Amino acid sequence: MTRIKRGYVAKRRRNRTLALTKSFRGSQSTLFRTASQRATKALEYSHRDQGRRKRDLRRLWIVRLNAAMAHEGYRYSLAIHRLRKMGIALDRRSLAQMGVCDPEAFSALLSFTLQTPSLLVES
Amino acid sequence: MRRLTITAGKSPDDDATNGRFIPATHRHLYEGVQNLGPDTWNYKTWYPKHEDTLNTKKKWFIVDARDKVLGRLACAIAIKIRGKDSRFFTPSMDMGAYVIVINADKVVVSGKKNSQKLYRRHSGRPGGMRVETFDQLQDRIPERIVEHAVRGMLPKGRLGRTLFTHLKVYTGDKHPHTAQQPEELVIKDPLITRNAPDAVAA
Repeated sequence: MTRIKRGYVAKRRRNRTLALTKSFRGSQSTLFRTASQRATKALEYSHRDQGRRKRDLRRLWIVRLNAAMAHEGYRYSLAIHRLRKMGIALDRRSLAQMGVCDPEAFSALLSFTLQTPSLLVES
Repeated sequence: MRRLTITAGKSPDDDATNGRFIPATHRHLYEGVQNLGPDTWNYKTWYPKHEDTLNTKKKWFIVDARDKVLGRLACAIAIKIRGKDSRFFTPSMDMGAYVIVINADKVVVSGKKNSQKLYRRHSGRPGGMRVETFDQLQDRIPERIVEHAVRGMLPKGRLGRTLFTHLKVYTGDKHPHTAQQPEELVIKDPLITRNAPDAVAA
């Protein structure tokens, strides 16, 4: 049999894993055996956090809304209840973004919602 | 309302629609509209840039600790330092304010905590546990009482340690931060001042 040297076959396989661990600390981005463990973990976290992201962002919006509404003198719980009762379907994401980027509109929306009790929809 | 951060509300596009996607069924609503506000649908949740967290742009607050209940005061301070009362709050960035506490030696605790609340520390060596009461610590290093309380209410970690450096505690009335023009920290807690046994009438 002809002698076959394996060349860079293994190296190419390992480089695919090492490419996932760029900017990891120390040998975790350099040495294949430690890097492959961290790469597996990183992929696990990435998959898990796709669900977590939805939760985390909703928490963030609620905290930001609470602060923005407190600035106008309202409580988050009361204001959200009134908004829904009035049939305003803006979600917490839009409201929080309005609170940051368009505070005049946010303030106008809140005062309209919370100071017109006759428009409350009994659902 | 004055925009408190530099990057909020900025849009990368100059055209009338601000680069937003408007579905065909809604296009007729936008005819003749000159100034569209910021796009509140096609975006990522606002995240602060570095220039929004600059210490030079932060507000400074001052609170007088005289006759204020320790825990309630620390809670109000921690909220301000962390930035929880701000619509720009971000847990991973420093969006809070600086807080100056004066008359820290006059802070008060309710009940028998003056003689019963214990502050413990350990030197790391065997038998190195040191214990002292609230009264003893207030005689020795009064600033540490407020600092200990606030530190326990701030997040623990790199960011929490940086936030803690935004707390400035002083015994007595004087503080060196008049150039920062601190404003009064309004505490809405109705129980912030209570009649403690040795409290001086406010």
